[in-house]
Amino acid sequence: MHWIKQACWKLTLFPGFLCLLLPAAGMAQDTGNLYDTPFDINVGERYFQRQCSRCHGQDATGNDETGAPNLTGRLSNASTDVGIFKVIREGVPGSAMLPVSADTPDATVWQLVSFINSLRTNLSSVELVGSAEAGRALFNGPGNCSDCHMVNGSGGRQGPDLSTVGERRSPEELKTDITDPDLDVLPRWWTLRATKNDGTVLEGLRMSEDTFTLRLMDAEANLYSFAKNQIANYERLQVSTMPSYQQSLTETQLDDLVAYLFSLREEN
Amino acid sequence: MRRIAIVLVCFLPTIYSLNSLAQEDAPLTSAPITPAFTPVSWERLVNAADEPENWLHYSGTLTSQRYSRLEQVNRDNVSELELKWAYQIPQLDRAETVPLVVDGIMFITEAPSNLVAVDAATGRQYWRYDHELPEDLRICCGRNNRGVAILGETLYMSTLDAHLVAIDARTGNKLWDVEVAPYQSGYSKTAAPLIVKDKVVTGIAGGEFGIRGFIDAYDAQTGERAWRTYTIAGPDDPNVASWSGDSWKTGGGASWITGSYDPEFNLIYWGTGNPGPDWNGDVRLGDNLYSDSALALNADTGEMEWYFQFTPHDVHDWDAIQVPVLGDIEYQGSMRKVIMWANRNAFYYTLDRETGEFLVGKPYATQTWAQGLDENGRPIRVPNTSPTYEGVVVSPTIGGATNWFSPAFNPDSGLFYVNSFDSEQMFFKRDEDYQEGERFTGGGGQSVSPVDNYHSAIRAIDPASGDIQWEFPVQPRTTAGVTTTAGNLVLSGSVDGYFYALDAFTGEELWHISLGAMVHSAPMTFAVNGEQFVTVAAGNVVFTFGLRD
Repeated sequence: MHWIKQACWKLTLFPGFLCLLLPAAGMAQDTGNLYDTPFDINVGERYFQRQCSRCHGQDATGNDETGAPNLTGRLSNASTDVGIFKVIREGVPGSAMLPVSADTPDATVWQLVSFINSLRTNLSSVELVGSAEAGRALFNGPGNCSDCHMVNGSGGRQGPDLSTVGERRSPEELKTDITDPDLDVLPRWWTLRATKNDGTVLEGLRMSEDTFTLRLMDAEANLYSFAKNQIANYERLQVSTMPSYQQSLTETQLDDLVAYLFSLREEN
Repeated sequence: MRRIAIVLVCFLPTIYSLNSLAQEDAPLTSAPITPAFTPVSWERLVNAADEPENWLHYSGTLTSQRYSRLEQVNRDNVSELELKWAYQIPQLDRAETVPLVVDGIMFITEAPSNLVAVDAATGRQYWRYDHELPEDLRICCGRNNRGVAILGETLYMSTLDAHLVAIDARTGNKLWDVEVAPYQSGYSKTAAPLIVKDKVVTGIAGGEFGIRGFIDAYDAQTGERAWRTYTIAGPDDPNVASWSGDSWKTGGGASWITGSYDPEFNLIYWGTGNPGPDWNGDVRLGDNLYSDSALALNADTGEMEWYFQFTPHDVHDWDAIQVPVLGDIEYQGSMRKVIMWANRNAFYYTLDRETGEFLVGKPYATQTWAQGLDENGRPIRVPNTSPTYEGVVVSPTIGGATNWFSPAFNPDSGLFYVNSFDSEQMFFKRDEDYQEGERFTGGGGQSVSPVDNYHSAIRAIDPASGDIQWEFPVQPRTTAGVTTTAGNLVLSGSVDGYFYALDAFTGEELWHISLGAMVHSAPMTFAVNGEQFVTVAAGNVVFTFGLRD
């Protein structure tokens, strides 16, 4: 950690104890991020756009071209401010994530940390009108959501596991997911319809597809793997298998459901 | 003792038949010792096609056709290929390397800037060279090294801190090390150099850092620079008028993939990269010569004899960083000496390589930015396709319809093969001041939709017409190079980790194997003791295949 040595070396020009009193300059351990005002987040964002967006995407959601991860959700290499600081300062060894240049001031890195933190929803700032309890009852009861969706091990397999959906989707997004599921269907949830050489048709969720093979899961959760040259043809249906609940749920029920789903996250 | 004596007698004829051991008492061995190679003369390099058992250049030959005359592995038996050995690169970065093979020794470059020599038949190491690098490299897009060049008994390699090093091919000792440009100012190097006569010709990277690009030639013996040709016009060139104000000083025009050479015309052909800043053209009004161009340089002086600019005043980052493929084709009734170029901007071009004359130009992938090309090959732009502050969706993406990865040309089929990508992206513009050593791009891009919605394919293009004869769909977005052979094969890989062979004439799939990680480089082929092998890097592993014994 050469920057600590650098900072402390300069500070030892003063009496030694000042090294302990002077905040932030070289000590990342205890004082936390002091650069967390809206101004700092703004500066961090501009730095990010210039230096980081090429790999991590303009909106920080990652980039399949460069392999850089999505930074708007749970981070895989850090879970604290100090951890994020370290990744930016030192890079991730053995990967394409390089450190920022050695002469980038610590303050700049802290501002970047603040920006990255701002990408995740600040839970304390969210106030939802619905009741998570009522939402849960609806989910497992008359809503029949658990027919297709699992939460913490209970439920069906025909839709995404929602055990930590509150970490990935904002309340607004959750509402649209329920009322307009066809809006943005991820490729994992497309349907594949394969016609075998004998004419029978097999249809199911597109678990994976690549240059030469495809894999699907049918309505009974059976898994199939095909070589593309072993089937007569196949087609992709890029619509959701989830119906819209726009008409069948009241506004209150929707709010309750959103409150419940938004509460689903990994226990700390 | 008697048993050993009998064994000795049996081995004596073998031992004495190996030249290198005739002079001394050789230790007993159970396998023939690989003889040290014959130095690679310039003559061998010019005639590399005549010794297809070796792969003497990054692109196979000086024409960069990536066409091998080996036909032991062919259309009829390619499905019998089996894995012979794998070499695992210690770094996990995806490999972009194409190894060289010289007389049974394979030279593999590794991320970040290392080099290893292995026995080509077994993949076992002779030596390795690890280049020490500073921590704060200025690179835009990953720690890559695409390969080395060889002349005599010396290998030449680019390093990420913008050095050119000369390494002894027998031992891995460093012979010399020159700084091509200061890395702190945003320069780096990733491409295999090109040997031209007694010089090492090499480019530079840094188009996202406001560099002024160039192509250099170094004396192969001493490392002294023989000439430097700037790819961005300067005050001594009237074409500096294609840059408003002083924007030429940070004009970009990097030269980060290996070029080609024609001994008949004594011309070096090289592509140039995007103008800087990439996505904000407001600060650099004009055509921005010679960014996004094909350059033809006199090999002795570096002087530019002609240029052809594919994308004037580029605001989408569509570097003309493609390997120039030289071939002789029949065009409108007569034989022409041409360059075949599938450009990142989604247009395919055939140019006369003596004069740069524009012969053919046609889209080979989806694009929404140009209505077409005029009679000189200049694009006729569609309005409102330049990046805005709010973002505008344009096709192709920043990464382009194709990119740096190698295309190939097969003279038997007469077809030019390239991995193509049909897609779109949202392009943004941003105001940015230049700061030396920092990124200077003036904007960026964002995906509009998951990549599964788009389409990649190997396309076989007729160079005389620009028409696509066939395509083979592969998982999007595939970024693999292509190699082709006299065995009627087209060899390539895919982003989802397949290595496969197609019929060079029809595009029919003949064989594939799942190697498990992205193929992000081109395959190559060679032979040892009369046995043909095919090699490709997938993920961070170099795999070599051969026919069943």
